[in-house]
Amino acid sequence: MENEQDIINQEIAQIQEDCLRPTRKWSKGTKLWIGCLLMVAGWGLYAYIHQLNAGLGVTAMRNYVSWGLYISTFVFFIGISHSGTLVSAILRITKQEWRRPITRSAELLTFVSLLFGGIMPIIDLGRPDRVLNLVFFGRIQSPLMWDVISICTYFVGSTVFLYLPMIPDMALCRDRLVGPKSRFDKFRKWLYTFMAINWKGTKEQWHKLELIMTIMTIIIIPVAVSVHTVVSYIFAMTLRPGWNSTVFGPYFVAGALYSGSAGVILGMAAFRKFYGLQKYITKRHFDLMGRIVLALTLIYAYLNLNEYWIPAYKMATGEGHLLKDLFYGDYSKVFWTLQFGTVLLPIIIMSIPRGRRPLPLVITCIIIVIGAWVKRYIIVVPTLLHPFMPIQEVPNDWATYFPNWVEFSVTFGCLAGIFLVITIFAKLFPMMAVWEVADGVVIEHDKKAAEEIRLKREANRELSNGGTLIPPENAALKPEVKLI
Amino acid sequence: MKTVKINKRIIMANIILLAILNLFCLNVIAQDKSASSIQLSYYKKADKTRTIVAKVKGKNEDKKFVPVANVKVNFYFQNKKDEQLIKGIATDMSGNAELVLPKIVPLDDENYFTIIAKIENDSKYEDADEQVHYTDASFNIKIDPKDTSRLATVEVTSIDNKGKEVPVKGVEVTFYVQRLFGIMPASEDPKVTTDKSGEAEFNLPKDIAGDTLGNLTIVARIEDNAQFGNIETKVSAPWAIALIPEKNPFPRALWEPKAPPILVITISTLFGGVWFTYFFMFWKLSRIKKDGMKSKVKA
Repeated sequence: MENEQDIINQEIAQIQEDCLRPTRKWSKGTKLWIGCLLMVAGWGLYAYIHQLNAGLGVTAMRNYVSWGLYISTFVFFIGISHSGTLVSAILRITKQEWRRPITRSAELLTFVSLLFGGIMPIIDLGRPDRVLNLVFFGRIQSPLMWDVISICTYFVGSTVFLYLPMIPDMALCRDRLVGPKSRFDKFRKWLYTFMAINWKGTKEQWHKLELIMTIMTIIIIPVAVSVHTVVSYIFAMTLRPGWNSTVFGPYFVAGALYSGSAGVILGMAAFRKFYGLQKYITKRHFDLMGRIVLALTLIYAYLNLNEYWIPAYKMATGEGHLLKDLFYGDYSKVFWTLQFGTVLLPIIIMSIPRGRRPLPLVITCIIIVIGAWVKRYIIVVPTLLHPFMPIQEVPNDWATYFPNWVEFSVTFGCLAGIFLVITIFAKLFPMMAVWEVADGVVIEHDKKAAEEIRLKREANRELSNGGTLIPPENAALKPEVKLI
Repeated sequence: MKTVKINKRIIMANIILLAILNLFCLNVIAQDKSASSIQLSYYKKADKTRTIVAKVKGKNEDKKFVPVANVKVNFYFQNKKDEQLIKGIATDMSGNAELVLPKIVPLDDENYFTIIAKIENDSKYEDADEQVHYTDASFNIKIDPKDTSRLATVEVTSIDNKGKEVPVKGVEVTFYVQRLFGIMPASEDPKVTTDKSGEAEFNLPKDIAGDTLGNLTIVARIEDNAQFGNIETKVSAPWAIALIPEKNPFPRALWEPKAPPILVITISTLFGGVWFTYFFMFWKLSRIKKDGMKSKVKA
C-alpha cells in the first residue's frame, strides 16, 4: 500500500513539474513570437488611432453597411467564447474525468475571446466615448442594452470560472517560487500570493472552493447560452431579410458551440505541442473532443438547413432577393464553400475514426473556425446590402462592401491581442489545472485498486463455489468471462 | 551603299517604334480621365430663392454613369457674348452642386437668363459643360379659407419683352400636400393647366388629414417647364381632417420613455439572480481568505 502511495506521489510530483516547467523559462522562440504579436497589435492600434482621428469614413463602412467586419468579428469572438465555459462546465457537470487536462485552456479561450469580443462593438463606434451613454441613458427595452448586460455578466462569470480552479495552483506556484531574484520574479511572487488568497489547502477551504465551483458550473451554462441568444437578438429583433428569424437564438448558440469547441481543440493541440503535454493531452482527448464537435456540427447543420430552407421555400420578396444573392448571386461562391467546405466536409472527416486523430482533427478545426468567421460576415453584410428601400442616389461604392486596410488591421490587431494574452498567461500560469489532474491520478489509482479488489473477491467466490481460480492480472485481460 | 540602306532601315524602324510608343503613351494619358456629364435643373422655391442644381455623373469601371463627389463645377452667367463666372462649387456625395442665384441676374432682350455649368481641368474627369435658358415667372396661389368647396387657384404671369406683366396660358401645375417627410399628390389626378387668364383651379379632396387644428399646407408646382423650369408656391389652408393624437401611440416602442414592467421584471430577475450568486461567491472567496489567515495564526 505504501508502495502504491509512493507511485501516486511520484506521479503527482511529475505532473507538478510538467505543468510548472513552461512558466520558468521564456525561450527565444517565445520572445520572438511575442515580438511578432506586439508588432501586429501595434499596427492595429495605429490603424485604430487613425480611425479615431479621421472618423469611421476611413473604413469601407457607409450608410448602408454600417456593421461590417468589426461586428462580424464581434459575433465570431463571442461564439468562440462559448467554447471554454460550456465545454468545461458541461464536462464538469457530467463528471467526465478526461476533461481534467483541457479545462484550463478552454476557460482561458473563453476569457480572452470575450475580452476582445467585447471591445469590437466599441471599435465599431465612431465616438467610443459615447459608450458611456449606455450607462447614463441606456434603455432596458433595447436588445443592444440586453447585449451589454449579458456580455458583462458572462465576462465576470467566465473570469471567476477561470480563476476559481486556479487558486490551489496559485498557492503551488507561490510556494515553489523560492527566493525571487529578478524584479520580474518578485512581481510573479506577489501575483501568485495575491491570487492564492491565503490558500493553505485546509478542509474548510476545500469545502468552500468546491461549493462555489459547483455553483459556478451550474450558473455559467444558462449565462453562456443567454449571451449568444441575446447577441442573435440584435439581429433577430429587426424586420430585415435574413435576420427576421425565430430560429436565430438556437442557431447562434449552436454555431457558437460548433466553432468554440473547434477552437478548444486548436488550443489543446497548441499547448500539447509547445508545452510538451503529450503525456496528459492524449489521442483519446482528441477523439472524444472530435466526437463532441461532430455532434455539435450535426446540430448546427440541422439548424442551418432550417435557417435557409424554410425562407427559400417561401421566397418572400425581401428575403428572396437576399437568398438569390446567396444561392447564385454575388455571395454564392462563399456561401456554398461554407456549406460544403466547413459543415459537410468536417462532418464526413470527423465521422471516420481516423479523422479524429490529432493532425486531421486540427486541420478540420482550422477549417471550421475560419468558416465560422466568414459565416458571421455572410450573416451580417449581405442583409445590410438588401434594405427594403432601394439603394439609390448614392455613390456607386456605397452599394457594395469589402473591408479595407483599416478594418483588417484593427481586426488582426485584436486577433494578435488574443494570442498575446494567451501566450503571456501561459508563461505565467500552469496551463493545466495541476490539482485537478493530480486528483484524476488518485481517482484512477483508486479505480484500479477497487477493480483489483472486486476481481479478487469474485475470484474467491468462484473458488469457494468449486470453480477455477483466475489470477487477478489474467482476469483483467479477460473481461468477457462471466462470473457467477 | 549597303550600310547606308541598313542605317535607313534602322532609322525608319526606330521612328515607327517611337510613333507606336508615343501613340500608346497618349492613349494611356487619355484613358486616365473618365468621361463626365452635367445635368442642370432650375428651381424657384416658395420663398422666392432661386437655385441651379448641377448633377454630375462620371463613367465608372463598368462603363456606367454614376454620381460623383468632389468634382468642382464652375457656374457662369451668359452676359451677351461674355461668360461671367459666378462661383465654383464642389459636388456633394450625391453628385450635386447647388448654386443659389443672386437676386439680380443678367437678362437678354427677351428677359431670359442663361446659366452655364462647366467641369474644367478636373484631375479625374474630362471637361464637360451644360447650359440652361429660362425666364422668370410669378407663380401665386390663392385660397378662401371659408370656401367649403376647398378651391385653390393658382396664377402664372411673366414679364414680356416690353416689360409688361402678362398671364401665361397652358402651363401644367401639379398640386401636392405637405407631409412630415415630403410631399404627397393631393389627389389621384393632381394636374391642372392654366387658361388664357393664366389661372388654374383645383378642388382639394375632403379626406386629407392635417395637423391637430385641421390645417394643411397645399404645395403647387410647375415642374420641368421648358420656359420656367421648376417653380413652387405654398399656402396653408384649414381644410384638413384634424388629427387627434392617441394618448399612447407606441405602447411597446423602443422610444417609449418607460419599458414595459414585465420586461423590466424579467430582465431584473434573471440577471439580478445571477449577480446575487456572483456576490455570494465573492463573499465565500473572502471566507476562504479568512480561513487561510486563521490557519496561518494556528501554525
